[in-house]
Amino acid sequence: MSKWSTLLSRSFLESNARERALGLVDDGTFTELVGPFDRRTSPHLETLGEAVEFDDGIVTGIGKIGKTPVFVISQEGRFIGGAVGEVGGAKMVGTIKAAIDFADRIAKDYPNATDEEKPIVAISFETGGVRLHEANAGLLAHAEVMDQLQKARHKVPVIALIGSKVGCFGGMGFVAAATDVIVMSEFGRLGLTGPEVIEQEMGKDEFDSADRALVYRTTGGRHKYVMGDCNFLVEDTIAAFRAQLAELAKLPREKFEELRRIGSEVLVAKQLKGVALAAEMQPKDSRDVWVHAGNPDPVSLALAPVADFRAQAKRLAL
Amino acid sequence: MKTQKKWDNLATDTAERMAQASRFIGNGKRVEPKDIVGLLEAVIRPGDRVNIEGNNQKQADFLAESLLKVDKSKVHDLHMVQSAVPLASHLDLFEAGIAKKLDFAFGGPQAGRVAKFIKEGKLELGAIHTYLELFGRYFLDLTPKVSLICAYEADREGNLYTGFNTEDTPVIVEATKFRQGIVIAQVNKIVDKLPRIDIPAGWVDAVVESPRPFFIEPLFTRDPALITENQILLAMLSLKGIYAEYNVSSMNHGIGFLTSAIELMLPTYGEELGLRGKCCTHMILNPHPTMIPAIEEGWVDTIHCFGGELGMEKYVAARPDVFFIGPDGTLRSNRAFAQTAGHYAIDMFIGGTLQIDPWGNSSTATANRVAGFGGAPNMGCDAKGRRHSTPAWLKCGAELPCMEDQIGKMPRGKRLVVQGVETFGEGREPTFVEELDAWALAKNAGIELPPVMIYGDDVTHIVTEEGIAYLSRCKDMDTRMAAIQAVAGYTEIGLKAKPETTRRLRDAKIVQTPEDLGVDRNRATRDLLAAKNMRELVSWSGGLYEPPARFRNW
Repeated sequence: MSKWSTLLSRSFLESNARERALGLVDDGTFTELVGPFDRRTSPHLETLGEAVEFDDGIVTGIGKIGKTPVFVISQEGRFIGGAVGEVGGAKMVGTIKAAIDFADRIAKDYPNATDEEKPIVAISFETGGVRLHEANAGLLAHAEVMDQLQKARHKVPVIALIGSKVGCFGGMGFVAAATDVIVMSEFGRLGLTGPEVIEQEMGKDEFDSADRALVYRTTGGRHKYVMGDCNFLVEDTIAAFRAQLAELAKLPREKFEELRRIGSEVLVAKQLKGVALAAEMQPKDSRDVWVHAGNPDPVSLALAPVADFRAQAKRLAL
Repeated sequence: MKTQKKWDNLATDTAERMAQASRFIGNGKRVEPKDIVGLLEAVIRPGDRVNIEGNNQKQADFLAESLLKVDKSKVHDLHMVQSAVPLASHLDLFEAGIAKKLDFAFGGPQAGRVAKFIKEGKLELGAIHTYLELFGRYFLDLTPKVSLICAYEADREGNLYTGFNTEDTPVIVEATKFRQGIVIAQVNKIVDKLPRIDIPAGWVDAVVESPRPFFIEPLFTRDPALITENQILLAMLSLKGIYAEYNVSSMNHGIGFLTSAIELMLPTYGEELGLRGKCCTHMILNPHPTMIPAIEEGWVDTIHCFGGELGMEKYVAARPDVFFIGPDGTLRSNRAFAQTAGHYAIDMFIGGTLQIDPWGNSSTATANRVAGFGGAPNMGCDAKGRRHSTPAWLKCGAELPCMEDQIGKMPRGKRLVVQGVETFGEGREPTFVEELDAWALAKNAGIELPPVMIYGDDVTHIVTEEGIAYLSRCKDMDTRMAAIQAVAGYTEIGLKAKPETTRRLRDAKIVQTPEDLGVDRNRATRDLLAAKNMRELVSWSGGLYEPPARFRNW
């Protein structure tokens, strides 16, 4: 494992789940919970005769950024594509629950605690959703995570970080949508049905999953930023994700409601406007929507460095 | 009494056919796309040997599809002679009974259907060749009567520009036209003036502007983002244990992630080993995008290309000191010449394979796919006709303990043929096996010989994550088999290795582990790659490389 100081400049995309978890919080503050030495492996994979991982492909733990306790969940795409099964799901649930319990305790014992001193949850998604080997247990895990997100709302901000190789798709796409804030890099991808499945169901003419440029144009960070599906677009380094997290950690807790993309009547109305716009526009490509949002030259905008892109890009107003 | 013997039957036959076709051919040999089926029916006779230009990359796809539409009562039982059959239409011809016999070199995506059709009797297999072997037979006993070829552009007279992707066109046209055959070309565009003339109009009988550009595939692009740490370890071993050990200056890199890793590690690990200027100076290679960093860092003197590679056009054109660029400023690839250089002139071939047997024979065949050979066997073998010497070739030859049994005290060199494999390949299938699937394929498809890509006596080195087996240093088959076992890891073959034998082989430098070579496994991380993704390759190229959409994540 690299030293913390060298981790920061590393590409978030290139890093593994543990490197991301360690680098997101301050040097030496990360304690892994239910780590590989605990050997909580998937009973389902074992039954099927498949290889298991001692951390079940998810790193969970707690660390600090400045004064803020950060409960970290970091998915590992190199193990079965980051798919979530029973054990990994339970680790996610346990971590969010621990954050909520901790927030309750602070509220009770330290009523004068500042926002900065209250816990947050950071989830680095790298997953296509349910681990099919575990079927119902995997689905149930998704439901339980959603349940915890509802409990955390107004209490513990949950921040999604998406900048991994696999991206965030399937059931976990719903989970990410239900968080308070989404931070992406341009290489992060977010969606519900993954590109291969769309092609399989609707045909190559509808969506050619081998066309990576199309896939990234449709599900990648830049497009999600224009669409308002993600809140912040950062450079592809652990340091950049960490800096965004640190900034959010200081935010007054009530501000997080304003960052949500779904979850209120107002937001539902806004989403419906988006649906109506899609029906009216019949866009053939994500770039059509960029133009509609007020970006006359989407091709150069897509190629611009991230900082310039952020400065120039007009986001879709609904 | 001497009878008058006729000596121009071939030309007369062609003239008769062309007379029937003349109503379809306009000014500048131009044929309208709607008339192409009629033209083919006029010039092709049952049983003809026909070539559809099917290269590794560019494809005469419109002509292939048009041939499929001919009246089967007029055109049938054709004998197809062509490099590759990667398009569905190539095999549909056999399904429809238009074609009957096939002589080829490479199956590609249609490999499964080739095997099935042979078994069902829909396809009579002539032979599976290497490219050079098939090109040779074009000038011997497999000369096409009609060739359906492919070019970028034609001018108003019928001259052709095959440009960057010239590939097989010259050899096909020369064989066909100089035996009085018929050459029909599909082009993407008819223009007033060509950048240069690759095929003169006099050798072309008809030109059709295809309704859509020909199909072309970026087969030689490997995304650096997908290179694994294991492949990086193999690349470190290869660079230190082979490139540096033998000072290999000229070579071909097979297609694959290991060789891509090596290419991307020349400016990092290779630089550290001091290999710049010594290794990889002369290469026979398609324009691999992963070569960009090494080229930019001044490693490479010369690259000659079999074919082009989509997206590399501008970059290659801007590096005329390295590539073979015409007076017009664009590359001309040429498979026949590159394969000739690959067979006779290079010191090393390095590539991967699917399976290796206990004796070191290797094959990419699976039980139900006739994948063919392409060019690898010509490069992955010791060219017996080679007479010039280089230090790497001499050193490898000098190592051979068995050479004396064959030619006594006479010194002779040997080509380095390196197989770089992980002990377990895709889908965790073992690479080292008791019996190659090639045997099952030979039985299933009724082929005389199991298709072996590289024979054991040609392989000089096997590199795995366990280390390097220097087969060139083995005096007999027992030693060779023990050396292979020593690097075969946890495969059934590898488990046969005896620790005391392996120890002896290591002491004799016949087997070297990463530790023996001083390669630190912990350094085998993606940080050693000069470019970690496609975008970094674009940056290295100064924006000249334009990756196809399927490789872009922007």
